[in-house]
Amino acid sequence: MEYDVVIGLEVHLEINTRTKMFSDAPYYFGADPNTCVSETDLALPGTLPCLNREAVRKALSLCLALDMDIDTVLRFDRKNYYYTDLPKGYQITQYFHPLGRNGHLKICINGKEKTIGIESIHLEEDTAKQIHNSRETLIDYNRCGLPLLEIVSEPVICSSEEAVLYLEKLKQIFEYLGISKARMEEGELRCDVNISLKEAVSPDLGNKVEVKNLNSLANTRTAIDHEIVRQKELLDRGEEILKETRRFDEKTRTTISMRKKEEIADYRYFREPNIFPIRISDDMMEDVRKSLPELPDVRYRRYTKEYRLTDQAARSILADKDLSDYYDKAARESTDPKILCNLLLSELGGLLAKADIRIEECSVKPEDLAELADILSRKELSSKQAKEVLSEMFSSSESPEIVINRKGFRPIKDSDMLLAVINEVLSENSQSVEDYKKGKDRALNHLTGQVMKKTKGQADPEITAVLLTNELAKR
Amino acid sequence: MRIGNAASPFEAYEKLKKANDKLNCIVTAIEPHEEGIPIALKDNVCTRSILTTASCRILDNYIPVYDATIIGRLKAKGFVPVAKTSMDELAMGGTNMTALTGPCHNPYDLERISGGSSGGSAVAVASGLVPVAIGTDTGDSIRKPASYCGVVGVKPSYGKISRYGIIPYASSLDHVGCFTTNVRDAAYMLEVLSGRDDKDMTSSFEEVPSYSRIINSDISGRKLLIFKNVLDEIEDHDVLRAFNDTVTVLRMKGAVIEEVSFDETLMKAVLPVYYLIANGEATANHANLTGIPFGERAQGKDFEEVMINSRSRGFSSSIKQRFVIGSYALYKENQGHYYRKAQKIRRLVVEEVMNRLRDADALIAPTVPGIAPLMKESSTDELDDNLISHSHLIIANFAGLPSLSLPMGFSHGLPLGFSITANPFMEDIMFDIAKAVEEYTGLEGQTKEDF
Repeated sequence: MEYDVVIGLEVHLEINTRTKMFSDAPYYFGADPNTCVSETDLALPGTLPCLNREAVRKALSLCLALDMDIDTVLRFDRKNYYYTDLPKGYQITQYFHPLGRNGHLKICINGKEKTIGIESIHLEEDTAKQIHNSRETLIDYNRCGLPLLEIVSEPVICSSEEAVLYLEKLKQIFEYLGISKARMEEGELRCDVNISLKEAVSPDLGNKVEVKNLNSLANTRTAIDHEIVRQKELLDRGEEILKETRRFDEKTRTTISMRKKEEIADYRYFREPNIFPIRISDDMMEDVRKSLPELPDVRYRRYTKEYRLTDQAARSILADKDLSDYYDKAARESTDPKILCNLLLSELGGLLAKADIRIEECSVKPEDLAELADILSRKELSSKQAKEVLSEMFSSSESPEIVINRKGFRPIKDSDMLLAVINEVLSENSQSVEDYKKGKDRALNHLTGQVMKKTKGQADPEITAVLLTNELAKR
Repeated sequence: MRIGNAASPFEAYEKLKKANDKLNCIVTAIEPHEEGIPIALKDNVCTRSILTTASCRILDNYIPVYDATIIGRLKAKGFVPVAKTSMDELAMGGTNMTALTGPCHNPYDLERISGGSSGGSAVAVASGLVPVAIGTDTGDSIRKPASYCGVVGVKPSYGKISRYGIIPYASSLDHVGCFTTNVRDAAYMLEVLSGRDDKDMTSSFEEVPSYSRIINSDISGRKLLIFKNVLDEIEDHDVLRAFNDTVTVLRMKGAVIEEVSFDETLMKAVLPVYYLIANGEATANHANLTGIPFGERAQGKDFEEVMINSRSRGFSSSIKQRFVIGSYALYKENQGHYYRKAQKIRRLVVEEVMNRLRDADALIAPTVPGIAPLMKESSTDELDDNLISHSHLIIANFAGLPSLSLPMGFSHGLPLGFSITANPFMEDIMFDIAKAVEEYTGLEGQTKEDF
């Protein structure tokens, strides 16, 4: 039987604010356990929530980036349940009125563009982190109360590949907006997958299974693929798919049932009384809109249309925002963005990889790379020389000018100097001169090579070519 | 006794400890270390390094690591806390009979209740032990004990006084306020306590006037509405006489007095609606009391069992009943019928009252329909009888209106209270009217001492 796969993703994203969502406790990544905690985070009696403005701004910027309908009245609700990682006994979230609805994200699958609808985005707070060992459970409240965005896609994703592309694209946007590094391995981005299969010919939807807390792109892909196969086999055998919550088991690389849907708690949602509805002012909205950075899709168009970069080159640069920012800075100073791109991706990229450092730690200034690209573009250096110059620049942080001068890579344009060398070469290579006269073009290449050799490659190629043919004609 | 001529904190501390044998109004006496104005705090005001139990078993060992915002404000003005006072468990009650430390006695008749939930604070002021005490009021928890104990009890507008560090009951209804022996002190206390607190997002940015300086008993032209539904229910002749006499004097002083009758069905809905909203919010507000991060922890084989055992042991059965009712009202399939409906009716009640109050200066009524009941006759079940003459005080909490009770006379030697409820942030007008009442009754500064 043929089945259509229907997947919806719920992404939880920790956003990087200086303090927590509802308390003034500062948060530092990697801080010692339970050192970034205030009385509010521990839900000590009498404490009250205080909304983080920065978190709202960052959430707004994401809503704008995803072209969403924004609810300009912020409202929060309580989601009630008991668990050790939730000291208040409820989570403050936006259940009834999410900040954003009806967004869009474009992914490129097999060369074709597909738009993934985003149902809603809302603000909430993270829970404490539990560390289980064989004897006990330890609780780190540092994570408790960190701002979290829940991003819910529409159920329009059809494969693990699309799911991963969607996640990658989201991550890229988070990075460009500067709202989160979205490191899945650090739990900054967590993903729940809702997946069901329906008969291709039937309009009826299948029963939905939720796979919770996927912590890497690879696991997301494997979990989806496994779940598709598992559900397909069950359906082919005529069995029913149970509505349930499952988790991904990294050891067996399969999904394992956690609980049936019927057992899921009633969260008794109601409006958070300690936070009145807050109207987002036009000023704030405008301010966020203005400070919105150029997004990857816009940059892609600029790179491919204006700079004429290939699709692959544009994507390679855009994949890393710091690299793309670096390129943009350099491109503003350069007349040849294509050569610049090659220098950046293959030459500087190679040096960075070899030294194992990131572009933002690179000692070559963007304007220096631009200058080198322009020199190369004017053919004042051979690519081999350019490579050598860049390597020096990389280790010494010097400008190309200084390195070229030291290396003596200045092209010789002086006709008298060049003539002297040419005549010397012609006298020493009478056989080649003979061959040239007989019409052997290869001889000219040989003679040019000899001139280059004598000038250590500094002879200006164009002037040399003219002078050489003139001199040969005289003989 | 007035703030201006109060005994020293050291003296107050000694007196309190002695008087407590008879009154049972305090949970913890705080030994003072400095001179100043002694003040008593309800035991749901968090005080750093000082036991704060909210009269609840699960918090019987709870020592806060931080001070409520109002503590800083009080200390800055020279107040010295000398006691944490008795209250109904988690401020849920109107009798002070459910206090973990046992019932609190009315200084006018030790066989009678103080009223609650801020009973200990009312008693400490009424018996002259301290000139001022802090209370909280979610339905009537300041004004009712103020009436029973013959003191001034004020609950200002919602947002006027920060709730940060006050162990909550129901966040949308909770107000912080105070007890004093006279209106001017109450006005002064409001100056001390009020003002924006960034730690409480519901706290107001409104500027705080110098109430105690601008207070003025000139009420000519003030329009006062007599809450007719309340008076219609009252049978006690002493209450009616004291109220009507006071109204006559107010009229003579130039106030324009009108009667107002609100929709009876809506008024009858006030108590059940209050019960659903307050308990709904309370069940979430107290979900942090699990015995795990703080509080009295019971044993159990896993965290779930620890929570269940701690909560089973940590609350009285009436509190558990409220949690169950609150939760039930919030369940998805019940919300439409209970919690959300209650919210709608709350809005309707507020509209009904505000439509009339907006064009007037205050709503007046006897605070409660009689004197403090005898302990043995008092019921702790709030829903026992749904009387508007009791539940009318809740309306000020529904709408966040400033409201106070002050003594208006006696019946059988026990105090009676006069209730004034004003428009939002019109505390100054409320105090002016109260001052006019006080000038007539001559009960300014009254206490019942010798304990």
